Order: sequence, then C-alpha cells, then structure tokens
Amino acid sequence: MKPTELGLRRAFDVHSHVLGNGLKVLLVENPSIPTVSMNASVLAGARYDPESKAGQAIMASRLLDEGTETRSSFEIADAIESVGGAIEADGSFERLVVSAGVLNKDIGLGLELLSDLLIRPVFPQEYVDKEKERTLAEIVSAQDRPQVVAGWAFNELVYQDHPLHRPAHGYPETVERLERNDLFEFHKKYFLPNNVILSVVGDFRVSELLPKIEDALGSWRARPIVFPTYPEPVRQSGKRTKFIQMPAQQLNIYLGHLGVKRTNPDYYALQVLDTILGGGAGFTARIPQRLRDELGLAYTTFASITMTAGLDPGRFVAFIGTSPENMKLATEGLVNEIRRITEEPVTAQELQDAKDYLTGSFVFAFEASPQIARFLIHAEVYGLGFDYVEKYLEYIRRVTIEDMSRVAKMYLDSENYTLVVVGPLDGAQ
Amino acid sequence: MSSLEIPSAFAMEDVGRTVLDNGLVVLTKEVHTSPIVTSMIWYRVGSRNEELGQTGKSHFLEHMLFKGTERFKKGEIDLITLKNGGGNNAFTSHDFTAYYFNFASDRWDVALEIESDRMVNCAFDPEEFEAEKKVVIEELKTGLDSPWGLLLQEQEASAFKVHPYRNPIVGWLQDVERATVEEQQAYYRRYYHPNNATLVLAGDFETNQILTKVERAFGLIPAGTPPPSMLLKEPPQRGERRLIVRWRSKVPRLAIAYHAPQIAHVDSYALQVLGVVLSEGKASRLYQRLVEREQSVTFVSAEYGEAKDPTLFHIRAEARGDHSVEEIETSIYHELGRIARGEVNQHELDRAKHQMEAHFILSRERTLDQAILLGQIETLYGIDYIDSYLQRINAVTTADVAAACSRYLNEDSRTVALLLSDGSEQVEENESEAD
Repeated sequence: MKPTELGLRRAFDVHSHVLGNGLKVLLVENPSIPTVSMNASVLAGARYDPESKAGQAIMASRLLDEGTETRSSFEIADAIESVGGAIEADGSFERLVVSAGVLNKDIGLGLELLSDLLIRPVFPQEYVDKEKERTLAEIVSAQDRPQVVAGWAFNELVYQDHPLHRPAHGYPETVERLERNDLFEFHKKYFLPNNVILSVVGDFRVSELLPKIEDALGSWRARPIVFPTYPEPVRQSGKRTKFIQMPAQQLNIYLGHLGVKRTNPDYYALQVLDTILGGGAGFTARIPQRLRDELGLAYTTFASITMTAGLDPGRFVAFIGTSPENMKLATEGLVNEIRRITEEPVTAQELQDAKDYLTGSFVFAFEASPQIARFLIHAEVYGLGFDYVEKYLEYIRRVTIEDMSRVAKMYLDSENYTLVVVGPLDGAQ
Repeated sequence: MSSLEIPSAFAMEDVGRTVLDNGLVVLTKEVHTSPIVTSMIWYRVGSRNEELGQTGKSHFLEHMLFKGTERFKKGEIDLITLKNGGGNNAFTSHDFTAYYFNFASDRWDVALEIESDRMVNCAFDPEEFEAEKKVVIEELKTGLDSPWGLLLQEQEASAFKVHPYRNPIVGWLQDVERATVEEQQAYYRRYYHPNNATLVLAGDFETNQILTKVERAFGLIPAGTPPPSMLLKEPPQRGERRLIVRWRSKVPRLAIAYHAPQIAHVDSYALQVLGVVLSEGKASRLYQRLVEREQSVTFVSAEYGEAKDPTLFHIRAEARGDHSVEEIETSIYHELGRIARGEVNQHELDRAKHQMEAHFILSRERTLDQAILLGQIETLYGIDYIDSYLQRINAVTTADVAAACSRYLNEDSRTVALLLSDGSEQVEENESEAD
C-alpha cells in the first residue's frame, strides 16, 4: 500500500454550511473518541492594530472569558472546568480564536459559552486593568529569554514599517495606553458573524448539531466590515545587523529575511526546500547535519521559510543557539548552506527523500480532533479546499530539481539578510 | 459526585501484555482510527541510576543511540525515518529513557529492526562520542539560560542530599566534560537488556500478527544480568531549607518544593487532586487568590508528578510588578493552611476530579500519547496502576485532601528557592545597516 491510500482511508467528510448571518460552519464527525473540539476564528488579529494601539487585538481576545453580559469571569471558568472541559481565547496576527474542548455530553454547554464569549463580552474595567498589568509583567519576563529578544529584534529589522514588525501583544508603552473602549471598538468592528468561521470536530451527528449551532449563533446580526489596508512589506537589499549583549551561556542567532505568503504557488516547492535545508526528520537536513551532527556547534539549529507563511509574508529564518566562541563558525555555516542551495542543484536523492518524508508524514497532521478543527480553518482562510488532503500529495510529487533551484534563487538570499545575535558578546569569536 | 463513564476505547482491558523468554515486556494497544503505528521502547534507567561524578550518562547514552551501529550507520536511523515519512525522538528522565518512532502502518516494522539492533550493537565510535559531547554541552547550556531550568536544578540539589534526584538529568557540566567513551559503553552494557526494557506498540495493527514480528526481532537477544538496584534513600528533612539563586533577571521567581511519596503510594492520589485544586484552571484556588485577587503573580502552578521513588510536590510562581516573593509566599502558605484545616469544599473537589478524568481521555487521542502513558506507567510501577487509577482518584475525599496537605505540605519538609536579580544591566544594543 502506498502512503497516499493510507492517508485517504481517513478522508473525512466535511459538512460545510453558512448560517443566514454569514457565519461559516465546518463540521467533521469523528466518533473515535467521545470528545468534541470547537474552534471559532474571528478573521482579524494584531495585523489590524494601529501602531499607537499595538496589543489591542490580543488584549481583546484575552479578555473574552473575563466576563459577559450574563456570566462573571469566575462563572465561566467554573462552568467549563466543572465538567472537565476547557475554553480558551487567544489571538495571533491573523485571527482571534476561541477554542473549546469538551466531552461529547457537554457539547451544548461548550457552544453556549463559545457564543457568549464571542457575542457578549463586557470587558470589565477591573479586568482590563489587571490584564494590562499582567501583559506588561509578561513582556518584562519574556525579556529574560535571549531567543525571544532575538526574535523580536529580527522582526523589527525584517518588517520595518509593516505591522508584523512588532510583537503581537504590543509594546509596554502602547499596552499602557490601551483603554476599555479600545477593546469594545475592536470587538464592534470585527466580531461579526460574517467574519467568523466555526469548526467543530468530534463525536456528534451533524443533523443534531446544526440546529444547536443555529440556536447559539443564528441571531447574531451581520454588518459590513471595512478592513484596514497597509502596504506590502519589501524584501531588504543589503545587510542589516543587530547585536544585543546579554549575560548568558549561549548566543542566539537569527539569520534571514522576508519570506512568502501561504497562498504563494511555490509554497509546496518551498516545503520540500525546507526539508532539505533545515527541517525534516531528526538531523537529516543540511543545516542540522552540518552544524549539529558534524561540527557539534549546537543542540538546536534549523531553517524554514514555510513555517511562518500566512496571509502576510512570513520570514525565512535560519536559527542556531551556540556557545560564544562559535559565533563566526556558526554564522558562516548558516550562510554557506543558504548559498550552496541557491547555487548548486540538490541531488535527485535529496529531492526524493524530502518528498517521501512530506507525503508519508502528512497523515500525522490529522490524527486528533483539535488538529482537524484547526486544519478546517486553514483550509477556509487560505483557500486550500477540502480535497486538500488528496491534492497535497500531488502538489509535493510534482516538485522537480529545477523547481528547487528556481525557488532557492528566488526566495533565499545569502547576501542581503538580517542578522541578529543576542547573548554574551564579550566572549564571541 | 457523578462519575464519568470511561469509553471502551480507553479501557485498559484491551491492552495486551506479553513477556518474551528473555524478559522483554511487550505492551500492545490496537487503535484503528488512523493508519499510524507508534513504536516505543522504554529502558528502566535514568539519572537516578547514576553515580557521583558520572552524572548525565543516561541522557548522553540516549544521544549515542542515534550515532550508529554496525548495521545502521551514523545518520541512517534519521534517514530511514525521513524516507518513510515518519518521526522519531527520545527523552530521558530521572527514572527512564525512552525512544519512539511514528510511522504509517504499512511500514512501521523497521522500527523493530532499529530498536532491537541498537539495544545491543551501539557503536561508540570515539570520534562520534567527542563530537556528540559538544552537542550535549550546548543542550546543557540552553537549560542554564532558562530561569526556571536553573532555579529548579538548584532546588532539587538542595531538597535531596542523598538520593540521585538531586542531580540534573542532563548532568553537571564538569561530569559531562570529562565523560569517557569506555565508561559510557560499560553503562550501556549494564542497563540495555531485554529484561530491563518495555516495548510499547500502539496503533493500527492486529496484535497476534505483530507479536511474531516482535519475537523475531528481539527473541534472540539474550537476557542480561539484572542491573544493580538503586538503594539510596533520602533521609527525612528536619526543617525548612532556603536558597537564593542570583541571576540577570529583573523578575523574581519563587519555587517551593515539598517531599512527597512515590507513585501508587496511598497518599499519592490525594496529592494529585490537591495539585489540581490549587492551580488547574482559572477557578482554582491559587489562580483565584494570586492572579485574580492579589494580582501578585503572572502565573502560579502546583504539581505532583508520579515518580519511581519519593519525589517532590512543586509550587512555582512568577512575581509581577512591585510584589515581593515574601508576600506571595505568605499567601501560598495561608492558602495551604486553609486546605489543611479542611476548607476544601465538595464542589471544588468534584470539579478537580472531573478535570482529571476528562484530561485522562482528552489527552490520549494520538497513538503516541497512549504509548507514552502505557510505557511510563509500566516502567515506573506496573500497568495495573492504570486499571484502578480513576477509581482511586474518584475515591479521594475532602478529608483526604486536607490530610495529605497537612502531612506533606508543611514547613519542615519544604525547600524554598528564590531567583533574584544579580543587579546586572542586561541589555546593550548595537545596530547597523548596509544597504
């Protein structure tokens, strides 16, 4: 049996519906385990925050479960936890997500809470103040981790004026200025049924669940939405570097530049390229093989351009965490591997192995209900289609050696890159 | 309280347990929802088995098992995994070392070939050993750059004076630096035997068919001399221990650890429930008090994790704003005092039990998660533990929680570790651009 056929055995049946108010509903029955995973995605995130209100979207999402018109923060937590379930609200640059996991018998409660959080949050002043303080404290705490500091600095240099230059949770000075009204405004503008996708995967019958969804969310009123626009980010010409001194054991090195969107037609060829250059199984890719296995420079080193691809272009990142005396060797090592893959064709064997890896391991992305629930959202947002499960294998199989050379030259750059180094620079060599 | 029904897919009655003539324990669990097979092997060796001056050996050995045998040369295990579209990894703890492969169910047998081969034929090439030593040292340093990694390492070294749980799993730097390939090889010979291991297979297969394959792959490996028992016991602690770790952070962190019993001890169930009552979810006691009301921490956690030998009950919190660790500490003790006096109510207890029961089901959807549960429990105690686990959790009363809190979470048996600023200025930036 080929991996294709194996993967398809679990080809799932997606029931897609649109409620009268425009809310998209995607359902997959998966009776193998008596649980239900729900994922409601609001298609707006930190990318829409005005610069002066950076952090607005994430703050709004984190306050959804801190009080609604009918329930206090504690009542929400107590209701879901008492049945052993969980409900979480969080956000990213692209989306704000309310997700819930419950046993199948509690699906009604899960839906009720989910709709309450989406439609009727009240952002109590007390919790706005608390959340601001907490976010500020978390930002200070995160600065203890050199890898986080390096990541933030890298994004600033790569994205420049584009919204993705900043941390999604904002800066201390913008978080401090956020007010309750900002959160209401964000909610009013983007939390609309015609801007929400709900995916539910688990042990239920579609015919029984749909009326319940209609009850919970059907009366939510639609309104037209105007989304902010901003210029596309531009890939850098020339080098940008930043060195940040921090007393630590290791240097954290980010090297790379602007990447691609998830909708880029070369995305699949780039996945193959990632597998050969810096990902794949164990330490088979060139960067970990050379820098970890042969030179012993690092425990963690990888590279990827597809990992962060989204509605906005992601980043091409090569990362290594290494002792300060290895700085030159490690940085040169990363640049050399990037240059080599842009200048020399990969071997037929490398290509075949990478393709076998991607097609063979595809099935692992669909093992658990929460994974499938997330996939359904991605399929909708990035226009993948629900037959993606079948098409994916073909997308990968069709990649050629020529594609590898072409996309490497087109999307990777070993000259014009951003380099950020954070750690004990005093001992760096 | 109403008890949850455990769905049949999760009942343990369909876990097969077979012991080969050479002592290898084989656990099988059929899961036919996805065409996947997880294959794991668990060795009953971890940092608890390491002698003074030899710490980190179990973990280093885990790295060496990817560096080749006569049959599977260096890099080949990963390459086979790649070509077959699988995943592999390994991890080491105080009590065990475990390796796994995830493959599609039409090509997973290769995992048996690899595991049986590297159970006895690991190559220990001296050059590879020295190269990998550098990687292990980088891993160790990554841990030291994490504030919690550093603090907990210092705390364990203080809470245990005799028992090897005092040593970091990755080892002390100087021990790793001076490790030799000969010592490493001898350690491997001592602990890597079929009779010191458990093979777990979970996924899309027919049990009777695969047992033949297992027998073929492992059956000819002779049983080894049973490894020496670990006899060290931690003497009772007779008073609070406190330590301060100075670090570059501006954020104070607090870790309190109490001596607690081993897995399946009669009090261990109440301690697990207590951990959930204290910090699982936003309705929990310490969350409500420290995050909600006093707003003194960004997060707080309380946890008792099962271990082979008497272990620690951990409480951790990160201070926020101007709140001092002393203030946070006082609140935690106050809350523990209330619980010890019997202030946990039935609703809290029921909520905690439902959370534990649901977690038991919700977190076992992937075959890898099931294999980890089975392998870990068999290695730490014996698979029977799972059969009665939920019943025993269910039987815990509010009085049991109070008694366990009073008995274990008391002043004289705690080790309090504080991570405080060393006063250093941490950040200097230097930026340049050349377009």
